[in-house]
Amino acid sequence: MKLNRSILFVLFIGVLSAIALIYFYIIQRDFTKNHREFLISLNSLENSHSDLNYLILQNSVYIYQNQDKIDAKIKELEFEYETLKKSNILEDITYQEINKSIKILKIKIYSYLNNIDDYVMFNARIKNSLLFLDRHIENKILLEAEEKLLFIEANRILKNLYNTKMMVDFDYLKGIDYLLSSDSQDTNIQNYIEKFNLHSLFIVKNYKEYIFLINSVLNDDIDSLLTQTLNEFNNLALKDFNALDIFALIVFTLFLLALSLIIYLLYSYIQKNHILYTTSESLKHSITYDMLTNLYNRKMLETKLPLISKPSVILIDIDSFKNINDIYGNEIGNLLLIELAKFIKNELFDTEELGVFRLGSDEFCVLFDNIDLHEVENIANMLEKKIAQHIFVFDNLKLNIYVNIVINDIFPILENADLALKVLKNIPTKRVEKYTNSLNLKENVQENMRIVEIIKNAILEDRVIPYFQAIVNLQTLRIEKYEALVRIKLEDGTILSPCVFLEVSKKSSQYYEITEIMIRKTIEKARKYPQYRFSLNLSMLDIVNTKITDILFDCYDRNLTIVTRIDIELLESEFLEDTAIVQEFIEKIHSYGSNVLIDDFGSGYSNFSYFSDLNIDTVKIDGSIVKEIAVNDKKLLILKTIHQFTKGMNMVNIAEYVENREIAVMLKEIGVEYAQGYYFSQPLPQPLDSDEVIL
Amino acid sequence: MFKIVLFIFTITNLYSQEPISTIPLVNDINIAKAQLGKKLFFDTVLSKDNSTACVSCHDISLGGADSNVVSIGFDGKKGDIQSPTVFNAVYNFRQFWNGRAKNLHEQADGPINNPVEHNMGAQLVEERLNNSKSYRELFKDVFSSSKVKYKDVVDAIVEFEKTLITPNAKFDKYLRGEIKLSSSERNGYKIFKQYGCISCHNGINIGGNSFQKMGTFIEYKTAKSYPDKRTLTKKEIHHNVFKVPTLRNINLTAPYFHDGSSKTLKEAVNVMAKHNLGVVLSKGEVDDIVNFLNTLEGEKPSILK
Repeated sequence: MKLNRSILFVLFIGVLSAIALIYFYIIQRDFTKNHREFLISLNSLENSHSDLNYLILQNSVYIYQNQDKIDAKIKELEFEYETLKKSNILEDITYQEINKSIKILKIKIYSYLNNIDDYVMFNARIKNSLLFLDRHIENKILLEAEEKLLFIEANRILKNLYNTKMMVDFDYLKGIDYLLSSDSQDTNIQNYIEKFNLHSLFIVKNYKEYIFLINSVLNDDIDSLLTQTLNEFNNLALKDFNALDIFALIVFTLFLLALSLIIYLLYSYIQKNHILYTTSESLKHSITYDMLTNLYNRKMLETKLPLISKPSVILIDIDSFKNINDIYGNEIGNLLLIELAKFIKNELFDTEELGVFRLGSDEFCVLFDNIDLHEVENIANMLEKKIAQHIFVFDNLKLNIYVNIVINDIFPILENADLALKVLKNIPTKRVEKYTNSLNLKENVQENMRIVEIIKNAILEDRVIPYFQAIVNLQTLRIEKYEALVRIKLEDGTILSPCVFLEVSKKSSQYYEITEIMIRKTIEKARKYPQYRFSLNLSMLDIVNTKITDILFDCYDRNLTIVTRIDIELLESEFLEDTAIVQEFIEKIHSYGSNVLIDDFGSGYSNFSYFSDLNIDTVKIDGSIVKEIAVNDKKLLILKTIHQFTKGMNMVNIAEYVENREIAVMLKEIGVEYAQGYYFSQPLPQPLDSDEVIL
Repeated sequence: MFKIVLFIFTITNLYSQEPISTIPLVNDINIAKAQLGKKLFFDTVLSKDNSTACVSCHDISLGGADSNVVSIGFDGKKGDIQSPTVFNAVYNFRQFWNGRAKNLHEQADGPINNPVEHNMGAQLVEERLNNSKSYRELFKDVFSSSKVKYKDVVDAIVEFEKTLITPNAKFDKYLRGEIKLSSSERNGYKIFKQYGCISCHNGINIGGNSFQKMGTFIEYKTAKSYPDKRTLTKKEIHHNVFKVPTLRNINLTAPYFHDGSSKTLKEAVNVMAKHNLGVVLSKGEVDDIVNFLNTLEGEKPSILK
């Protein structure tokens, strides 16, 4: 907005100065043209006047002359005068004074030209008589008559007459006898003298007028009047020129102003443009570069990949990077990433890679094009070794890290490499892996997507259902409890077991919905079968998840009379550090009058220290132990030990996976309180009506 | 001693180059306009009583002047001065005997308005010519104006007058070096210069470029007064002062002088010698001068052929 206004302003100033410039140019041009024309005209007039005077002088000196020249010059003078009078500049009010001079000039010229007419007239007369005397003096009469004195006298007179003409001074003739006289009786002589005197008298008679005229003509004041006019004109024009100068100054200032504004705008525009450029460059950089390590980022890799005909990648992941962050802090973690980035780039100095990328927090990628995969594998192995050997030093801290490296050249490059990396992470003994289709990882993804779809539809169509497996009191041989097990019933009636879908569901909110459905439906069953207790499975992770516990206790709160018969089986297989949270949960369950069971004890993460910290009611002995007690003495010993230990802690046992009578009998003899398994009953959609079993 | 003095006088008498110039052979003329001017020049429609045309007094079949002492104009009225020739008038520095017109335009305007000549006015001229279809068309062709204007009438007549020049006179051919003059003619020209005729009669028109008094040397007396320059300037020195007339075609423009008093050229030459030069010419000299003057007769203007 501000810029627009400035541009408009500059445009305004610019247009203004342009108009002023054009206006100045026009008035300046017109003025100078008129001024020049006037001066030229004045000059021409002066020249014509001089020329005319020259011709008049010529006319005076020469015996005869082509007077057409004089007439032509007079016409020229008259024309020049008319031109001068019509000068454009005289229309200007400033030059009114000049008009007066021009009018006076007209009168002068008029009189000058009239004088010339008369001068020519008188000059012709005098010239003719002088010519006559010239010729007359040559007359033989004087010489023949030996009238030497008369001849000399005639010559003297003629000389004086000529001198008078030359000197243009009538006084010269004053007091001079210009008439011949002789006492001679010769009629020829007297006749001669008479003719001579006639012409000499004629000349003298006309001289006065002639001299007056030639003086008037040659000494006229036209020249001085012209000079005076010129001076007057120049004085007036000076004012106009000064005005023009001031105007030029204004125009120039305006122009300079516009120019400097443009320069300023241009400068600020360049400045802004520079800032914009820097910003856009850094934005461009941040889009394609990782800010921390200054490597290319994932976005760049995704841009580059489709452009490469035969790509292959090395995917590098730092082993337990989370631990480094946790232990040494994020700052060291970041420094490590930076150093590792440098290290990788450095190591790849000689390699024809298309770039090193940072894809995620601790994930790096090296991109190759059209290179043998064996070579890529060699590079990967080399990198793994070098990194493992390298010690990263930060101040006093020395860090030694390991990386998991995946190589891949199979489309989709990145997805496959990621999947292979996930697989590799689960293999502690292996550091470098090559993706092969045999890993079939990609199909798992598709399978998972299918399962997600199945779960979704099952939830929508109420096909998530609990199955119940009977738990038998070995002493009384009566069914006392049922364990609720989650199933999905497909549209065609097929029953899906949780191992198919439960892990997948945990990746989304479907897990909460499934959990809620199970809690709700189990409670419904318990309402229907008041003679039994029921148990629900929750994992240790579930009970630290407030969403799950909220759902659970919400259901408990709404069915207080029933939930006294709803027990919780905690899946022991998952490691949990904070026993306080578990204890808190157990106490809350106890407060509803329900019991807490430890599931799958004797496998995986089994830890006796639970029992000291946790107030557990029942311990379920893992099927991997139970199903082999008949054939494996060690397993039998383990079972007995667990039983004795838990009994000592006032807990009861449930043995899982009881698959035949032999095991059931052995368990009864050992004194294990409860058993469940296919020998008694497989999981069923409904609890059995009869609680009696046969051993 | 004598010879030295003579020599001095000879060199003091400076002569300029040839004081007479020839009539140019090429002229810039608008033919259509000149033809229109010719028609007007011959047409009596330009006089009030349809009696007088320009050509009435400027007989271009002869010398372009009037053979009468004074011309007869409107209503048979007589003019006050001898009609000067219209031939080569374009080269005169002023027009009329007393030079009151600066150029042909001013001149042509004179007789048309003069009560004793055509006795017309600008308005009447326009009225008359606009009534004529043929003139309207002619004027439209020449001036691209549907209406006849007085200014254009004068302009056309002047254009015609510009064509009334008489080139290729024997003397012109002589000056151009094309022919030789007879010894009498050559002698006549020499006397013409030596006696000072040339002082006034010079230039392209051999005259017509200055004023001079009729009778500078010996007063020229006439029975009645003529419109001389004095009538314009009221100056005594301009008494009997007239424009020096042209000598071209002088053998065809008798009678001579403003008063038409000399019937022959010889007579006129003698009058001039006596009154304006103060010399008496011998019979041989007069013959030679007349012979010279006869060489000034040029070809008739081509437009009249």
